[in-house]
Amino acid sequence: MWKDATVNEPVSSQQAKPAPSHQAPSHQAPSHQAPAPQGLSLRGITKRFGSLTANDGIDLDIVPGRIHCLLGENGAGKSTLMNQLYGLLDPDEGEIFIDGTPQKFANPKQSMAAGIGMVHQHFMLVDVFTVAENLVLGREQGPFGTLDMRSARRTVIELSERYNMAVSPDSVIENLPVGVQQRVEILKALANDAKYLIFDEPTAVLTPQEIDELMAVMTSLRDEGRAIVFITHKLREVRAIADDITVIRRGAVVGQPPRDASEQELAELMVGRSVSLKVAKQAPRLGDTRLVVDHISVADDAGTVVVDDASFEVKGGEIVCIAGVQGNGQTELAEVLLGLLPVLHGEVTLDGRSLTRLKPKEVLRAGVGFVPEDRQHDGFVGTFSVAENLVLNQIEEFSRGGMLDLGRISANAEQKVQEFDIRTQSISLPVNSLSGGNQQKVVLARELSRPLSLLVASQPTRGVDVGAIEFLHKRIVEERDGGTAVVIVSTELEEVESLADRIAVMNKGRIVGIVPAGTPRDVLGLMMAGIPHDEAVAATRATPADPNQEDA
Amino acid sequence: MKKSLLSVSAILAASALTLTACAQAPSSTPSASGSTSSSASSSASASTSTSAANADFKACMVSDSGGFDDKSFNQTSYAGLTKAKADLGIQTGQVESTDAKDFATNIQTMIDQKCNVIVTVGFLLSDATVAAAKANPNIKFAIVDDNPAGAAGLKNFKALVFNTAESSFMAGYLAAAQTKSGKVGTFGGMKIPTVTIFMDGFAQGVEYYNKQKNKSVQVLGWDAAKQDGQFVPEPNPFDNIAGGKTTATNLVSQGADILFPVAGPAGQGALQVAQSSNGQVNAIWVDTDGCVSAANFCKSIVSSVYKGMDVAVFDTIKAAQEGSFSSDPYVGTLANAGTGLAPFHDFDGQVSAETKSELEKIKSDIEAGTIKITSAAQPK
Amino acid sequence: MTESPTPDRTARRPVRLARVDWSEITVTVFALLLAFVIGAVLMVIADTEVQQKFTYFFARPGDALTASVDKISTSYGALFRGAFGGIGPITNTMAQSAPLICAGLGVGLAFRAGLFNIGGQGQAIMGAMFGALVGFKLTGLPLVVHLPLAILAGVVAGGIWGGFVGFLKARTGAHEVIVTIMMNYIAGGLLSFALTQALFRRPDRADPIAPVVAWNATFPRIAGTQLHLGFLLALVAAFVVWLVIERTSLGFRIRAVGSNPSASATAGMSVANTTMVTMALSGALAGLAGVQVALGPMSGATPTPLTAGLVGTIGFDAITVALLGRSRPLGTVFAGLLFGALHAGGLVMQGTGTPKELTTVLQALVVMFVATPMLVRTLLPFLRARRARRAVPAVASSGGLA
Repeated sequence: MWKDATVNEPVSSQQAKPAPSHQAPSHQAPSHQAPAPQGLSLRGITKRFGSLTANDGIDLDIVPGRIHCLLGENGAGKSTLMNQLYGLLDPDEGEIFIDGTPQKFANPKQSMAAGIGMVHQHFMLVDVFTVAENLVLGREQGPFGTLDMRSARRTVIELSERYNMAVSPDSVIENLPVGVQQRVEILKALANDAKYLIFDEPTAVLTPQEIDELMAVMTSLRDEGRAIVFITHKLREVRAIADDITVIRRGAVVGQPPRDASEQELAELMVGRSVSLKVAKQAPRLGDTRLVVDHISVADDAGTVVVDDASFEVKGGEIVCIAGVQGNGQTELAEVLLGLLPVLHGEVTLDGRSLTRLKPKEVLRAGVGFVPEDRQHDGFVGTFSVAENLVLNQIEEFSRGGMLDLGRISANAEQKVQEFDIRTQSISLPVNSLSGGNQQKVVLARELSRPLSLLVASQPTRGVDVGAIEFLHKRIVEERDGGTAVVIVSTELEEVESLADRIAVMNKGRIVGIVPAGTPRDVLGLMMAGIPHDEAVAATRATPADPNQEDA
Repeated sequence: MKKSLLSVSAILAASALTLTACAQAPSSTPSASGSTSSSASSSASASTSTSAANADFKACMVSDSGGFDDKSFNQTSYAGLTKAKADLGIQTGQVESTDAKDFATNIQTMIDQKCNVIVTVGFLLSDATVAAAKANPNIKFAIVDDNPAGAAGLKNFKALVFNTAESSFMAGYLAAAQTKSGKVGTFGGMKIPTVTIFMDGFAQGVEYYNKQKNKSVQVLGWDAAKQDGQFVPEPNPFDNIAGGKTTATNLVSQGADILFPVAGPAGQGALQVAQSSNGQVNAIWVDTDGCVSAANFCKSIVSSVYKGMDVAVFDTIKAAQEGSFSSDPYVGTLANAGTGLAPFHDFDGQVSAETKSELEKIKSDIEAGTIKITSAAQPK
Repeated sequence: MTESPTPDRTARRPVRLARVDWSEITVTVFALLLAFVIGAVLMVIADTEVQQKFTYFFARPGDALTASVDKISTSYGALFRGAFGGIGPITNTMAQSAPLICAGLGVGLAFRAGLFNIGGQGQAIMGAMFGALVGFKLTGLPLVVHLPLAILAGVVAGGIWGGFVGFLKARTGAHEVIVTIMMNYIAGGLLSFALTQALFRRPDRADPIAPVVAWNATFPRIAGTQLHLGFLLALVAAFVVWLVIERTSLGFRIRAVGSNPSASATAGMSVANTTMVTMALSGALAGLAGVQVALGPMSGATPTPLTAGLVGTIGFDAITVALLGRSRPLGTVFAGLLFGALHAGGLVMQGTGTPKELTTVLQALVVMFVATPMLVRTLLPFLRARRARRAVPAVASSGGLA
């Protein structure tokens, strides 16, 4: 089972040799085992896109009553594999078996009929419909094309009771939190009585609490004898729940480690070289106070106060992380720092100069680097080339008399691509064609390429693979060590723990408390729910045994 | 093309053929002179010698951006050209202009096609026609509805204009005689002379009626003193039938029961209003005999003010072909029947004999100059 | 493919590679062919004489076929001759295309900034109005002063007309589509009204027609042809637009705001200002198109005088030209030439008894097929094989491998 392919991989990717995927398929007719008599078996699945082999002879056995984790970096080929299973793509080679019988799925309908259900990363729900309406969508089962809403509502109620998933059949999707929307996706699959459930990166959009709840649901589904495929790149989750683990790298299965493999082992298998999961970080050398956020309040378009009287300070050479569950005002707080949102009242000063009423352009000029939370949306222009995106907010500095200085733009790009190890075939390729990690590197390279007084980075590593996270964290720490004040907004506690010198926890627009690095995770969790620090500490003392506390 | 398109076209072709293609072929006698003989045969009455000459003669026409199917002056003028082709056995050529910037190009195209006489339609083509006439002294030019000052002294240029104020005067008198509400209404397509001339004549005809009969029939929609009134809303007011209907409805709601729309096709809006009024409201049509050109509305058309553009065009072509072309402007009047009142058709019984004779009297008075009509838009 | 571990970084590449997409060119060629084939079918159906011959198709197919071939070849022959047959037609094509290119550049520029400028018509009307006004009101100025002044007046008028829309959008969020459509009506009405006023109306006439533009404000032309300064101006405009879009920081902002306004705002660009500037530039280009029709001499050597219909439908044709040209300056030049050729040739084709409506239909067919490559590929399956290879990696790179 444990066929390790990592041994002869070079340690540094910078001088890595050409990827096997760029050559003709090297494995010729590998001998595949016979399909398992029970469950879902993939044998020799190969899928090519032009010169790229996205899946290369993949064998996989998905056994009822077990959770099978599919682990791999972004772009490793996990989703391609699952899309073939779900009838969205046709394999070029190989076969899919269910209980030993070969299957052909021309479309998702056939695959659903065979008992395969998919919980998509981007939910396939109609936002303005209710839960029950979404359930009947695409399978209107009443006579004469009528919608059998009554039975749909009953199904929702039954299933959500059975799996302890508190979903009301009459709620409108768009009013539901992300975690509940995901449950609706699960319900849709279950209403079809799916025996094989594929979860495609389900935790990417969830808060820590929601992740726990999801895991509980997955466990109970498994215990009823369903097979679960859990696609992820988060090692902690794999360790928490997997029965079987398959690691995919560059389209091929590189190993099937035992469920008790360490995070370090998993990460190395996934990335193909040794990685350090901890950021090498010295104690901060604090300078003067640079950023002062003084009683800032912000309202959204609808007039709801989303940031409520927030105050904190950041010194030069210090990283302050703003922790909190998604949607508690962190996003808006970060945007206020850039001048994208008007403040109701309060004042932001940087090195004694007020930023409060400056336009984003002026804030950027004042030495603020900004990494937006949603990079696809705010961080770069996807159709622009790597080179253009690397000067997106400094275009005036890269022009002379209104004309673009193409030579300098190119040179800058070449240099940044080198320095930040941005993996692209050319600096003239659109950023859309890059992987998530490399896109984020483009944004970070741009923001860190000029002298900064303040760096504001929201979710700097969201959707970024392990290898890139290590690099990005290292760069942020280097920036801190250069004396810049750094504000990181993150919903990932791992990230907060590895970067923060101090942690400000937000809940419902208020800063619940500012605590030092090293504050236990369960205390942070309670603070994120709005409980003040003292009470949170007291509460955790009362219940010391928390199963989620087994840090690697 | 291989599968989808070929199969579709094959099916189409096959079905078309099975429907129509089983007829007998005609005997294959037509000689080499086939195409000319067909046009020559239509002018069988003409002597053989002239018919050969006629076949070499080419008369051409350039429309303005309305095109030859505008149910208005382009179409009527074009009728003169087609009549010339049929009756004189001559060749014809024509171009419709889609854009104002094409006018000169289109006239040039006709020149390149070796036309002997080129008729253009509408004042918009005035400059281009005059320029072409100056540059091509051997080709005869005529323009419908305009008498440009710049053409003075040009031997090969003829203006075809119409003093429709005269016929409209009669229409005004008729309307005033027929109204029951004491109010008559008119509206135009655009405030341009070729439109307002009708409205001026109409208003003066009503005024004359009031003076003669000591009545006070009111004209809605045209203030002769201010030279302003009701017009169909933009855009494309001459084509805007719905706009014409709105304008007509507006006049009717103010009490008018005889409508005089001077708006080309948009005037049909007034006919629609009249038709749906159960005989309460009636109309007087312009340009052509409405009972012929818009026959389904005949029940609501008291009479029409015709403007003989087709006759003028035909006569000009005929004169050019016969060598009697003169550059004197042609002015259509009551006297030369270039304009006039069309028959009453369905209203023949409803127009009193008295009115009919008074109209005859007015006609001869205008011809004699006893009645003076004044309109700034009248051809000079 | 995106995760290639050995990106070739040694070779310096230009920032933007001009990639010639042969498959796209092939599809465009076939789109044209397809349009002409359908046009031919319509031509045969529409002609009564040819129809007559089809009634006895089975008895003597030769007649019908010969008649059809004759009909098609004379019509398309005339179309071709009218567009390219000699120096006169070629220059006519160029003259016809010049205003379409200018207005198309304007619409295309707006597209690049994510704005849909339907107001080309109104902007061209304002351009024609003020270009003509300066052209006929001022007299006695030398050509080198009068002509640039007239051009400038039209361009500025169009720019203001467009920029106002940009201003409204930037300040109030009013949607440019609605505002530009309404501004078209206002411009049309304003022109109709102005032509009845002493300032614009020809003194010796009562018709709504303006005086002829002074000779010194008329575009110089090459004698005996229809090629006048306008076409050169259109090419210069295309080059300038290309330069602005691809090589200036303003163009950079326009493109950035057009493809991702929120990222542009985050990068410190002012979306509102960019919108305003773009709409003003777009309007100025449409204004230049208006100037072209107002000051460009037609075959009569003098420009057509300003009337309500002078601008025709340039502003709307410009939208199709811009779409056809994929909003790229070079593409717009070619699309404008294609439209100019169809227009010039269509006028001549009318002479063969083919109704002018068919030219319009042909134009529409060409645009429809060229603008919808998918449709062409569906109709012509042999073009599809090439595409399959190209399209799939695109899918993959947009997240298929995630």
